[in-house]
Amino acid sequence: MTLATQTGKLPVERRGGFSKKLSGILEPYLYVSPALVLIIAVMLMPLILGLSYAFRDIRILNPFSGGFVGMAHFQTLISDQAFLGALANTAWWTFGSLVFQFGLGLILALLLNRAFLGRGLIQALVFLPWAVPTFLSGLNWAWMFNPVVGPLPHWMTSLGLMAEPYNILSDPDLAMWGPIIANIWFGIPFFAITMLAALQSIPKELYEAASIDGATTRQQFVSITLPFLAPTIAITLMLRTIWIANFADLIVVMTKGGPADSTQIVASYIFTQAFRRLDFGYASAIAAVLLVLLLAYALSVIALRRAMTHSDN
Amino acid sequence: MASIEIANARKSYGAVDVLHGIDLNISDGEFIVLVGPSGCGKSTLLRMIAGLEDITSGDISIAGNVVNDLQPKDRDIAMVFQSYALYPHMSVAENMSYALTLRKTAKEKIADAITNVADILGLSALLERRPKALSGGQRQRVAMGRAIVRKPQAFLFDEPLSNLDARLREQMRTEIRKLHRRLGATSVYVTHDQIEAMTMADRIVAMHDGIIQQVGSPVEIYDHPANIFVASFIGSPAMNFLEGTYETKDDNGSDGAGICLSDGSLVPVLHAQGATTHQAATLGARPEHITIVSDANSGLAARVDLIEPMGLSTLVHATLADKPIKIFTMDRPDYAVDSTIHVSFDMEKVHVFDTKSELRLPPITEPHPSHRD
Repeated sequence: MTLATQTGKLPVERRGGFSKKLSGILEPYLYVSPALVLIIAVMLMPLILGLSYAFRDIRILNPFSGGFVGMAHFQTLISDQAFLGALANTAWWTFGSLVFQFGLGLILALLLNRAFLGRGLIQALVFLPWAVPTFLSGLNWAWMFNPVVGPLPHWMTSLGLMAEPYNILSDPDLAMWGPIIANIWFGIPFFAITMLAALQSIPKELYEAASIDGATTRQQFVSITLPFLAPTIAITLMLRTIWIANFADLIVVMTKGGPADSTQIVASYIFTQAFRRLDFGYASAIAAVLLVLLLAYALSVIALRRAMTHSDN
Repeated sequence: MASIEIANARKSYGAVDVLHGIDLNISDGEFIVLVGPSGCGKSTLLRMIAGLEDITSGDISIAGNVVNDLQPKDRDIAMVFQSYALYPHMSVAENMSYALTLRKTAKEKIADAITNVADILGLSALLERRPKALSGGQRQRVAMGRAIVRKPQAFLFDEPLSNLDARLREQMRTEIRKLHRRLGATSVYVTHDQIEAMTMADRIVAMHDGIIQQVGSPVEIYDHPANIFVASFIGSPAMNFLEGTYETKDDNGSDGAGICLSDGSLVPVLHAQGATTHQAATLGARPEHITIVSDANSGLAARVDLIEPMGLSTLVHATLADKPIKIFTMDRPDYAVDSTIHVSFDMEKVHVFDTKSELRLPPITEPHPSHRD
């Protein structure tokens, strides 16, 4: 780029050698500056601002707050039982949802990959939960679990899973399963659609060659389908883990983290701290910890993936 | 190795009939080439032998056993696909040993087989590579190796060379032939390339619209095509066809026959079996059976359209009786476009076809047609 400018202007100007040199150096940076300004304004600034709150005492209702408190929030955090409980709940929530979303999504994708009458329609319908606003699906599921208006407790009683119809969302031992089931229902389409797309990219001849080579359906799945899906599985699992860990909507709508913090995950705890207790400083400190944890997770998954693809060659 | 018998095999997809009653016997160790244009049913037939397509009716037997209801893996055949269908996440060695591994063959035996086949195909240095790190020709070899390693009853090839460039294709043609001679394996090879069919086959099966048109050795098919389709499909540059009427000159004592072309000129031919005087007939002449003569009285006038030098030979495109014809010559003619030349047809070599039935009417001197089996 610099070279092009210099040769382009060479015969005309002689004066201002220094300013010409300077503009030559600056030129490429000027070209990228709009993008840089945009990134700094909408991504970097809020991030830094948010992080800075973690070290300040910011309580909306206290006009005298706003001072620098150093690591105080983090020190409180270490001994905050509610936070530690939320951390454990986050792991449960994330992996409980993820395992079923992925497993059922993959099975659905394998079923949809076969030819049958009305497949196009079913494929479109399968995507529906993903299109429903989470707020709405959260409310729906909360009602479904409610024995006064919803059928689920009565069905479970009939099946002998419950002694009498009651709301599992109000049982601290079982409450987490409510949002998890709602989240599974909500997340299956994502895996079904991505896995289906990956499945459809597998050449048909490979299965034919394998069937001639003597592979059973199960062996074909292990030696052709799975290796082909592996990259998609890796990337979608990683993405979903981060999304689900950050995904507090269903919990906030269905249980508000209760009863007795039994469904409180870190993301919903941040929400509670910020918008119910209006303690933005502490909420920011929790958010910073969550950010670091998820970054560490993402980096380790990427490193793992890189190690795997390298041994691939 | 084994023979393959196909008896009255049919294939339909719903109401659409793709194959109409195929009968074909392939002997042990034979190299059969199924050739025909796209959509003639040759690949479907091959896939039916492999067990990848159901047989609507009829029987297919391998080594005397009817295999209609057997799974592909139980038919003991190997197939080479046009796309090679190599397992992309397995190394060359794993690709080739996959079938043996599934059969729980002893490890040392597998290793021996792989080394042996890799030697034959020149793949020894590539055994640890993945298919994506191989060239098209090497992938093709691996696909062959995967088939050979298993020592199957028969090899099925589905247009295995069509993804290669011309030079490589020519080389692989020879190699596959040599390999066949070495292994003596019954092979069924599908191609739309008539040159592959001519050069590789013990017997060619020419197919069109789901029907076998002719079965015979390459030379037999080239010299005595059963009908206009086979005559036009086999041979490059293609045969010239000139429509006209079959005429005899018995009345004036000189025992001759000829095809009277649309412009009234007469091309002498041998008396054709079953031909009646004045019937609609088509003259079929291969480009090499037309010669350019200097004497205007001994040839028919044609107008030069284009001269196509091909190195070894030259192809002259001309118009005769308002029809385009191609003439093959080993000379290097330099006629101007639109100039007039005179051509004569090799009476012993040209063919007479019944225009209506499109069947060839062989000369009475030819023994009864034996090329239909």
